[in-house]
Amino acid sequence: MTMFHFFNCAILTFGPHAVYYSATPLSEYDTLGTSVKTAVVYLVTALVKLVCLATFLKVSESDVFDPSQELLKALIGFIDVAGLYFALTQLTHRNISQNHKFQAVGLGWAFADSVLHRLAPLWVGARGLEFTWDYILQGLEANANLMLSLSLAALGSLMWLRKNKPKTLIPIIYACAGFVATMPSITSYLRWGLGWHLPEVVGFQLFTSLTMALVSWQLFSACQKPSA
Amino acid sequence: MADPQIVAGRRRHVFDSFYSIITLVFILIACVELCDASTVVDVYRLIQYDISGAPFGSRAASINHHAGSSFSPPGSDLSRTVAVLTLRELNETFVREYIEQGKPLGGLLLLLPQVFRSDNSQTVIDDGDYKDMKKKLADLEQKLIHSTIQYPVYFAFEDEDLANVLADIQRNDAAGQPATATTGGYKLIVTSPAPKKLASPTITNIQGWLPGLKADGDSNQLPTIAIVASYDTFGAAPALSVGSDSNGSGVVALLEIARLFSILYSNPNTRGRYNILFGLTSGGPYNYNGTQKWLKSFDQRLRESIDYAICLNSLSSGENGLWLHVSKPPENAYVKQIFEGLSNVAEELGLKVGLKHKKINVSNSRVAWEHEQFSRLRVTAATLSGLSVAPNLLEHTGGISDKREFVNEDAVVRGVKLVAESLARHIYGHEGKNVNIFADNSSLAVNPSYIGSWLDLLSKTPRVAPFLSKDSAFIMALKKELADHVVEVNLQHDVIDGMFTFYDSTVNTLQIYQVASVTFDLLLLLVLGSYLITLFSILVITTRGLDDLISLFRRPPSRKMKST
Repeated sequence: MTMFHFFNCAILTFGPHAVYYSATPLSEYDTLGTSVKTAVVYLVTALVKLVCLATFLKVSESDVFDPSQELLKALIGFIDVAGLYFALTQLTHRNISQNHKFQAVGLGWAFADSVLHRLAPLWVGARGLEFTWDYILQGLEANANLMLSLSLAALGSLMWLRKNKPKTLIPIIYACAGFVATMPSITSYLRWGLGWHLPEVVGFQLFTSLTMALVSWQLFSACQKPSA
Repeated sequence: MADPQIVAGRRRHVFDSFYSIITLVFILIACVELCDASTVVDVYRLIQYDISGAPFGSRAASINHHAGSSFSPPGSDLSRTVAVLTLRELNETFVREYIEQGKPLGGLLLLLPQVFRSDNSQTVIDDGDYKDMKKKLADLEQKLIHSTIQYPVYFAFEDEDLANVLADIQRNDAAGQPATATTGGYKLIVTSPAPKKLASPTITNIQGWLPGLKADGDSNQLPTIAIVASYDTFGAAPALSVGSDSNGSGVVALLEIARLFSILYSNPNTRGRYNILFGLTSGGPYNYNGTQKWLKSFDQRLRESIDYAICLNSLSSGENGLWLHVSKPPENAYVKQIFEGLSNVAEELGLKVGLKHKKINVSNSRVAWEHEQFSRLRVTAATLSGLSVAPNLLEHTGGISDKREFVNEDAVVRGVKLVAESLARHIYGHEGKNVNIFADNSSLAVNPSYIGSWLDLLSKTPRVAPFLSKDSAFIMALKKELADHVVEVNLQHDVIDGMFTFYDSTVNTLQIYQVASVTFDLLLLLVLGSYLITLFSILVITTRGLDDLISLFRRPPSRKMKST
């Protein structure tokens, strides 16, 4: 029964990634290599972030929301964006269209994030006899994260890879990218600063990720029209 | 040209070692079993013992069942449920059916109020409420001790977590949804190996000797007076049986009397013409087995020199005064002398002392009072106790309900004064005279704080003899304290009579898990499956088109056409 629960939570956390890969044309164009390379880039980025956090951040005793510390964390969070830039632009990809490139990069990014942040707690915690809703919520969070990563990758590819963009849309693109990049800080502010409970935070994440995914989809198709 | 091959081979080696490392890591992780229960509680097991092979107490130790309460619908099968009951609202019919009549039950967890904890802060309990609970607990203990129970029985103390869990369980039961594997609820787990017999449980008797003043040229043996108290207890939960009154009060009284007489005997001018023998015996609940062994180890001359022995027992239990229990008839000269001495002093102190005579039946192995062991060896002895009626086997032996808060310290102090004064008058030949040797505010006054602090220590130490090793810190402390007052201290180790056998495993940890039912897991699987399938369909439709989705479910027809 407890392995059953672990299995349920595992397919909730990692299933969508596999489904996304097999459902979209990504599998036809064999973009697995790109995703794997992106996952490695994510790993390196995570290590760099950890080192920076350890060096610059003060350890606070209580769970009080400290604005200066959170600002610092947000700035370090932008290292994420730099990593994504590196993955999108610097890595050598085989001949895949831009459309598929950002999807593969986003997928690899989200999958690495889920594995690194959620696999160990899931393995250790969900197998026990005690039942909590935490792991199901964590799985939903992973889903939201997948959508956010894809949006960020889409906006990133718009910003850095596409040269001819309609002038009016550029500020919107940058604004949306900025919003998505600061999502982690917003989430931690909600949880520690305002004291929201985990289900509410996860709900907020799902909602915003859906909206951002739709917005970035629209932006992407809008930018595609001139070249198509 | 060979370079790519070598590189490929090297890469394969790297991957191989990589994979083996990964498998090793997975195996290690699989061995990690963390305790993640929502509540972990210390629980104390009901005692398990045999009398001449007949089993008593709880015969099992490990629990692995769902929790239920006494509110489950009557007639339901509870053989795979652990019933959680509180002492405050004990359901009498439930107790009668499952404990006395022996209906099958998966286990029993009894929750006691915090006031029965031995490390609780000292607050005087005069509340009628707690007196009722004390009586309820004492009755329940007696029922449990004398029944044979095939399922594990544990005691625990109430706290917030347990109260919440119990409220949940009772709510579910009242709504008619008892916890089972298919409906979720709470699961109680106690992991413990099967209880084993304790091989040769030891009893340790501590004796102290205060020699009297021998006149020059007098070669005869000085007469001896013995003061005895048994210090071990027996209760429903050996880890909780502190026996503050039975017989903590007796031990404390003996120590205080030893202290007072050591002051008198330290100066040769005030040393009496009697030796005083102090005995802290063990094995009291088991027909005073230790006392019998202690007496049998005596030199014949010593035994014959004992004038009389006074045994101290439960000095705080008397509602209005103390009782002197004797086995020789009251007309006996010695008995009369002892009783008159005590009565005179008692009158001055405003205490009542009554005389009770109980004949010894030599063929019956039951020994209800400690003095009976002396009488069987023809030594004059009497027991001074607050109890008026001889207790039955394993009754009034200091169980869980016998707590420090229920001990009347003043009664103990008065008891000490009574015995010390009457003893001193007899030793120094001042019988009948109006002399107050241990007067208040003198250097020989009875010290209530000494009595109080030793009562505190005794009330924090569970003292069931089979579980008290012969070199335990408590026995060493008693020995050291007695050695401070008397001239010579000896320890005598022996084994409890073969009639009693005890089993181990007295303290365990209980883990309470909140488990989801199987139906919940299946439902979740269904929901997730449909979610993933929907996601798949949506993605295929949006990226490749509806035709592609339909084509996934149709076998490609072109191959067949090609073959034909």
